[in-house]
Amino acid sequence: MTAAGIFAASMQKFRSLSSIQAALRVGTVNCRSLVEHYLQQTEQYSHLNAYVEVWAEEALDRADRLDAKFREHPGAMGPLFGAVLSLKDNICYAGHEVTAASKILEGFVSIYSATAVERVLAADAILIGRSNCDQFGMGSSNENSVYGPVRNALDPERVPGGSSGGGAVSVQTDTCLLALGSDTGGSVRQPAAFCGIWGFKPTYGRISRHGLIAYGSSFDQIGMMGHNPADMAALLRVMEGPDGFDSTAALTQPPAGTIPHPASIACFSETIGHRGLEAGIRDVTLDFMERLRAAGHTVDEIPFDPGGGDLLDYVIPAYYVLSTAEASSNLARYDGIRYGYRSPRARNLEETYLFSRTEGFSEEVKRRILLGTFVLSSGYYDAYYNKAQQVRAILRRRMLEVFNSYDLILMPASPTAPWRFGEKSDDPVAMYLSDIYTVLANLAGIPALAIPAGNHPENGLPVGVQLMAAPGMDENLLAFGGGL
Amino acid sequence: MQTYETVIGLEIHVQLSTASKAFCADDASFGGAPNTHTSAISLAHPGTLPRLNAAAVEGAVRLGLALDCRINRRSCFDRKNYFYADLPKGFQTTQDRAPICLGGRYTTGGASPRTVRIHHIHLEEDAGKSLHDQDAADSLIDLNRAGVPLLEIVTEPDLRSAEEVAAFMSGIRRLVRWLGISDGNMEEGSLRCDVNVSVRKNGETRLGQRCEIKNVNSMRFARRAIEYEVKRQIELLENGGTIVQETRGFDAATGTTYSLREKEEAHDYRYFPEPDLPPVVLSETYIEDLRTAMPILPEALETGFREQYGLPDYDIEMLLQERDTAYYFMEVLEHSGRPEMAKPIANLVIHKLLPWSTQTGTPLSACPVPPGHWIELLEMIDRGTVSATAAFLRLLPAMLEQPDVAPEGLAAGMQLIQSADPDMLGKVVDEIIAQNPDKVAAYRKGKKGLIGFFMGELMKASKGQADPKAAAQLLEQRLK
Repeated sequence: MTAAGIFAASMQKFRSLSSIQAALRVGTVNCRSLVEHYLQQTEQYSHLNAYVEVWAEEALDRADRLDAKFREHPGAMGPLFGAVLSLKDNICYAGHEVTAASKILEGFVSIYSATAVERVLAADAILIGRSNCDQFGMGSSNENSVYGPVRNALDPERVPGGSSGGGAVSVQTDTCLLALGSDTGGSVRQPAAFCGIWGFKPTYGRISRHGLIAYGSSFDQIGMMGHNPADMAALLRVMEGPDGFDSTAALTQPPAGTIPHPASIACFSETIGHRGLEAGIRDVTLDFMERLRAAGHTVDEIPFDPGGGDLLDYVIPAYYVLSTAEASSNLARYDGIRYGYRSPRARNLEETYLFSRTEGFSEEVKRRILLGTFVLSSGYYDAYYNKAQQVRAILRRRMLEVFNSYDLILMPASPTAPWRFGEKSDDPVAMYLSDIYTVLANLAGIPALAIPAGNHPENGLPVGVQLMAAPGMDENLLAFGGGL
Repeated sequence: MQTYETVIGLEIHVQLSTASKAFCADDASFGGAPNTHTSAISLAHPGTLPRLNAAAVEGAVRLGLALDCRINRRSCFDRKNYFYADLPKGFQTTQDRAPICLGGRYTTGGASPRTVRIHHIHLEEDAGKSLHDQDAADSLIDLNRAGVPLLEIVTEPDLRSAEEVAAFMSGIRRLVRWLGISDGNMEEGSLRCDVNVSVRKNGETRLGQRCEIKNVNSMRFARRAIEYEVKRQIELLENGGTIVQETRGFDAATGTTYSLREKEEAHDYRYFPEPDLPPVVLSETYIEDLRTAMPILPEALETGFREQYGLPDYDIEMLLQERDTAYYFMEVLEHSGRPEMAKPIANLVIHKLLPWSTQTGTPLSACPVPPGHWIELLEMIDRGTVSATAAFLRLLPAMLEQPDVAPEGLAAGMQLIQSADPDMLGKVVDEIIAQNPDKVAAYRKGKKGLIGFFMGELMKASKGQADPKAAAQLLEQRLK
């Protein structure tokens, strides 16, 4: 058995940053041996297609430099020393290709780094590679990637969730400690739930979006996946805070409030009683609720719509109207003029737009661009975009109102277990409806934590639940999750 | 034709002369090698976001205050979506719903002033430039200008002729330069305007169907475009036709306007709130501080210059061309403490100091000569201590060379002081009469033109220091 092989066998106990850092300090591992182990894992699981590019040499070089720095200045190491991360293919890293898993950005190399990337590197993290995802973050199954689908390690015939499916599998298969992803409507939490790991979407604006390829600007937020909330809190502390490059970053200051123990937790009866919710998922969620109660917390079932109406049914339409409207504008820059893919058939300006965008974007991306263009069109704006904005305001108000009486809101992370490839590909609306529980946090801009809650009683697949907290309560939420 | 009234409204684009662009730190100056004033942000690379330039906001508020607008305490940005090769993001960041300045008015100067109501002023970004004539096969794109801040001033349809448009544009140009927010250079495109023209029968209160003439980039073209368009519309109506609402271009070569697109073909810009920029919230303190720091505006000075100082129109126009000129003029005048000095000071500033400022590239505010010295110079000329010629040709350049030395001392050193002392003059006159007996005889016989000869001799003998008035008097007396 090789040294790395022996090490791999012992990796189970290295599923937290604190244990890695302890091992680094006593010298039983160094950054190089960590990276070698992770690289070996990427090879072992390469058939799952979690990575579109592994930065093997660069990661090893950086490991050596960090090891050297540690030998000389052991007290000067950053808070992410020993943390090896995967980076979703929609977050920019200077000198590295970034494509949002789309042909339209084929071969595009970023000339700058996202603020989040700058900050994790400054904190001595190591980036091991670029993780696969749904094109421009549009998808809930990671089947919509120019690099092909990502497979769930627990059942390679099933999807890992999306859009940050590659990131989820990268953590699931121990190819890195933490994954950086993005969450516009659940893209970090749903794949985390599908892969049996933790996923966290911070408060909107908590982490700068500078360098995150935009999908829906008023929803997008960099998020993360890992084995435990403490690691994600360490990562959050490094990345969060105001940024001169993002005017919407950290506009809301963290509140002084705390989540007490025991906590009061609300669970909306419509979410638990939703017609689309699989019985197995409901059972695991109810079981999780009982565990919370057993730990001393109160969990109340309350209506989401205080008027007894169908408010929850407006969540998905409002989200898809607004996010696609923003996307139709955000994706206008991919025009074949300055960078990225330009159709070789184009002979004039109009053809450059028409052919490059037709050939460069996937069907799903084009569907959303068309939908977003439609809802903003003259004559339809008020009926769709404006109405959806009003709905969003109502939904947000309702969510915030609940936090006046409760510390946390509990709900499933997904109405279904991971499905088989192709199962929902012909039915975009069925796919959109799978986001029912996650998009609420994005509509309201609040932090949400996906927690591995158990296994599906019928198929043994992982089931996740979510806890949401008031805006700015990110660290408290992660701390609460850590105490479970 | 005489039965028609012309109605014109303008959309004026003022390019702000901020150091950096509206939403990123790129150099915003004019020119530069193509695509050098760019960055990941202005090139709309994936993942980039806008951040608002505070100097652009300040420029907008100052223009709003100058035009008597209501300053919007909370303005918002919107995206105007359209595809063009020189529009990197595929949308222009602008203000559609809540512009930064609302209402306002501006009254043109000159013989027939016109008060034009301002509808609003909004802040937006410029596009890049498409160059279609540089390369045989391809259009070239220069994105140096992409993202440079623009203010768009939208007027009500209150203008009635091409002349009024020209007067309004000149006034706005002077105002933005006066405020220091733009160089107002039409050739470089810092000031551009779209002209909305319609005609209606005299007495008609409803507006006629309008046509918009796009991107008229000089005062002269604006005038020609309007004159042509008015003629076209009237002829069309007189011949029983109807005006179609459309966007038209101006062909400077032929002096005509031509249809670009009709209303049905108008773009659907799909405006919606810019999610990447929070609203611009301006505090009372912020606005009041800017209001307090506002310069006196040229329109206010114009009245004073005409009524208090009795300056002629030409002088007023020259002095008010630039804030620096007007302020310098007022500084010197104030130093004299005598309003009647206004005209000689105006002459000095317009004819002597402005050319010097242009030649040396020194602003008048940086003129090294203390204002008191200029007053002294003008008084010396007035008293006859120096001749005007000597004062302007020799003394003034010397004053600029040695700004610390008072002109009296300089003039003495340069022997430019004129003498009116009758003893000294008498001696010189006697000498000249004694030396030129035949010329004296000829003069006395009636050749009065010889007085010029005697004066010349006298100035030569006195080395130019004789006071010409006194000398001529004495000569005539002794030659009788």
